[in-house]
Amino acid sequence: MEREMSEVDETQSHVRNPLSASAAGGNGNGGYLAEVEQAFVDRWHDNAYGCFSSGHKFCREVCPVTQVTRNENHTPTAFHSNVVALEKGLIEVEDVADDYVHCTQCGACELRCPNTIMVGDFYRARTETVKVVRAMRALMVDKGLDREGWKIWNRLTDKLKNEPVLGVEGDHPNGQEHVRDWANGLDIPTGGETIMFVDCEAAFYRTSIPRATAQLLQLAGVEFGLMREQWCCGGPAAEMGYVEQARAFAEHNVADWRAIGAKRIIAIEPHDYVHFTEDYPAYFGEEFDFEVVQIVDLVAELICDGRIELKHPIDRVATYHDPCRLNKRKGIHEAPREILRAIPGLTFKDVDHVTQWSYCSGGGGGLPIEKPEITAEISRRRLEKAGELEVDMLVSACVWSERPLRAAGAAQGIEVWDIIELVAESAGIEIGGSMQSGNAPVGSTQG
Amino acid sequence: MTLAPPTIDSGILEELRAIVGEEDAVLISKSSRLNRARVPAPFPVHRWEEFVPDAVVLPRTVQHVSEIVKLANRTKVPIVPRAGGTGLADGAVPLRGGIVVDVKRMDKIKEVDLANNTVTVGPGINMQTLNRQLVKHGVMFPDDPASYACSLIGGRIGTSGFSLLGSRYGHTRDLVISFEIVLPTGEVIEVGDGGGRKVRKSSTGYHLKHLFMGHQGTLGIVTEATLELVPRAEVEFAAFFLFEDFDTAYRTHRLLACSGLATLAGVMLFDSEKVAYLRRDDEAYIEQPDWVKAVAAASLYGTRAEVEPASKIVMELGRSLGGKYIGDEISSGDWSARHDRYANPLHGRARDGQVVPMSWHCEDAAVPYSELPAVRAKWHAIASRYVEQYEIFDDWGMFAYTNGAHKPWGDVLAEIDMGLWEERLDEAGWQAFISLKREIAQTVLDHGGSMTACHGATRAGDAELVPQEMGGGWDVMMAIKRLLDPNNVMNPGKQSLDRAYE
Amino acid sequence: MAADPRPGRYVQSEQAAPEPRRVSHQVVMRFDHVFEVDPALMARFPQQKMPAWDTKRIVAARWDHLDDVHRQFADGKVLAGEGPEAGDD
Repeated sequence: MEREMSEVDETQSHVRNPLSASAAGGNGNGGYLAEVEQAFVDRWHDNAYGCFSSGHKFCREVCPVTQVTRNENHTPTAFHSNVVALEKGLIEVEDVADDYVHCTQCGACELRCPNTIMVGDFYRARTETVKVVRAMRALMVDKGLDREGWKIWNRLTDKLKNEPVLGVEGDHPNGQEHVRDWANGLDIPTGGETIMFVDCEAAFYRTSIPRATAQLLQLAGVEFGLMREQWCCGGPAAEMGYVEQARAFAEHNVADWRAIGAKRIIAIEPHDYVHFTEDYPAYFGEEFDFEVVQIVDLVAELICDGRIELKHPIDRVATYHDPCRLNKRKGIHEAPREILRAIPGLTFKDVDHVTQWSYCSGGGGGLPIEKPEITAEISRRRLEKAGELEVDMLVSACVWSERPLRAAGAAQGIEVWDIIELVAESAGIEIGGSMQSGNAPVGSTQG
Repeated sequence: MTLAPPTIDSGILEELRAIVGEEDAVLISKSSRLNRARVPAPFPVHRWEEFVPDAVVLPRTVQHVSEIVKLANRTKVPIVPRAGGTGLADGAVPLRGGIVVDVKRMDKIKEVDLANNTVTVGPGINMQTLNRQLVKHGVMFPDDPASYACSLIGGRIGTSGFSLLGSRYGHTRDLVISFEIVLPTGEVIEVGDGGGRKVRKSSTGYHLKHLFMGHQGTLGIVTEATLELVPRAEVEFAAFFLFEDFDTAYRTHRLLACSGLATLAGVMLFDSEKVAYLRRDDEAYIEQPDWVKAVAAASLYGTRAEVEPASKIVMELGRSLGGKYIGDEISSGDWSARHDRYANPLHGRARDGQVVPMSWHCEDAAVPYSELPAVRAKWHAIASRYVEQYEIFDDWGMFAYTNGAHKPWGDVLAEIDMGLWEERLDEAGWQAFISLKREIAQTVLDHGGSMTACHGATRAGDAELVPQEMGGGWDVMMAIKRLLDPNNVMNPGKQSLDRAYE
Repeated sequence: MAADPRPGRYVQSEQAAPEPRRVSHQVVMRFDHVFEVDPALMARFPQQKMPAWDTKRIVAARWDHLDDVHRQFADGKVLAGEGPEAGDD
């Protein structure tokens, strides 16, 4: 028997344990869970026992948050055992709400868990911590327990149709009317079979990245266009528990894609790639018939095929940061290394992608909004590890990781670049926009 | 069931906060307490709230720990030390509330001394995390339990852990040179071999390190440890041999164990019930032909110059009684999977063959080699009785490993693995489990063995047999406990040591 | 360049698993060399909807992990240099 991937179960198609308290309609103390809690524990009961029955905590040492806090409340083990505790009436949602904030949704835990890595494919039942965390955060929203910072962030996202990446205070120069400003002067058409989707951080804050990407694709002769009206992918809302908003944004974007005849979506950001290949198919089922391509894979192919020529040496000593959502969540770790090895002049000191299961920038899952000090420490440790290799550059492939990594890099004297910027430099492109200095984007009044 | 609020006085909590001086280092929330109740061993989920501490404190320094322990003595509040919480014998499970002293924040590498081959660390560091930092120096700390990726140094010392590489490099007690420990009354002492932190062998004074090694948190809290740094092995070799029957595999195990090969890290044995269990979901065994009923395996670590010729001897011995080699790919992969094969709940099968999540019970007796076949027969008979009578049990077969540090002969870690269906657990089932454990442990004692090679005898079913196993030594053990912990605050109730205070 | 299919390309219609064929009384196989439990045994503990990309990610990660475990404990490997031996069936 299979269960649908969608976040909201329409049917309870699996056989429930007739002795479980929830199936009997109550918890052990004779009280009854409210409807939303009951639905939650019913949906996640099997996931919870799949972890709770083991409890060996192979996850703890690879989790970027528990590496810093060393607090067992933040382990994926606790995230699962709390579901059992909730079911038994030992806790209520407000007792654990803050605990579930402590997660970047990097996916290290669920990958390293022996239940996934040794037998997850065998049983077609793996550890799904990311889904459990998201579901609990959605339950928090349902009960009005969502966090203040996230509330504000997502309210502004709803208003602007893009994330407030230029700040939540004061003017917000990143509304829809500015979403394509980064492309000024690049002559990119609207519409077409292939669309480049530009996430909010890149569209407004690190405009060098979409500019580098667009110009590389143009150089390589890849035809593409932009959306008529690009909204945020909806992923961050989903990660923070705002399920309806996430879905509404997805519906808008897909409608736009259909209207402009898109068949292929180039996701330039790992978070978008995750949402387009996991959340969007869950929302739309078989109707989601778009091909989704991650830029790093595409660029590696273009270099390999000789459609991008890397002429200018980059005489630096660099190491690579495996973004969590590429490496752990998607298994994309070879293409970026192929790219880095192809760049002339670059001394590339690698750390293998399995060791990097325990690495992170701390930038994901809404963590920087609610717990910026933990994000900062996670990034500080990442740069410290890079520093041990005696490099002057850390190259990432995820724009969201680059903000906290760059802040940490500034303190440790290591520059943080995006891999696409590096490729564009080496290909002789004058990128424009705000470079890795993180200055204000072209045309913006924000400093 | 409901979770009672902490019974600890708010004045005590204030004092704890003053000691550690850090926000979020003293935790009393429900999730903080509930999530520090169990360890991975099967747990009476239906009585979860009985095993919950009143408070949790996360110290960072030996001064913090010492002050906390002194406070506990003044106020007679029990303390339960908790390192990884990954043990298999409930050593870290609070039996009467109190304060869990969670040492995970004491996880720093304090010194790497390459001239004397030592590394000094806090008890909250994990071996894999430590060793990733040591690769660049060409050395490692080769303490390699199944929990290598998740257990912490504090727990390794607390349990006197077992290493799968023990025949080659020794176990935890052979690899920990010295440590700093806060006694149950709050004094801080250092214990090693003699007085030198980096001395491996001494004859000065009593060998106190060996007293505290494996104390199960009942004689104090380790706050720092100095560990052995071993030169990294140039190469590894592993070979698995398949047999038609257990007896031939058992005799082959002996040949390998007595081979005299210095690079031998361990010799393993799987019995027929284990092979049947592995056929459920282990890709190395699913397609093995029906005649495969038992496995013997060996691994070697060292320089290429030693391991290559030794590997040929292993191949010869492994085949000498008819064993068939499983092949390079599976040998290598199966050996590398040694940490991850145990704990997957979906190994469990209900009586109707359906997959159900079961908690892993691992019996870890130390048994003289000669007694293994008899113990095996009795254990499976016991297991069968319980499996037949209670739907919550499943027999996952037996492993045996060479047990002696640097001594692959003589005795084995004999393990019967069983699944326990926690979702279906009620009090009758839990009592049956305790009874099962007791019978299993008693069998071992009847055959001159020890009921626990490495996990500890800290839970019901084993604890009541500690006096029997210790014999005359039990009175000495109680005297030591009483002497060092006059107020019985340090992990009270474990190993039947309450009797020391009667 | 690396072998197909690249993990950075997603097409919905490629995510369904092939039909299972029997390996043993409790094991089936859909993708080559990837064993799976007979779904009939998963009536009590439900299976998840696992798209092909996820199965492949897990399988690849498992081999990467086993290689990593080996590398953590030794810098090199000695192999017997032989495949599996046939038994006396």
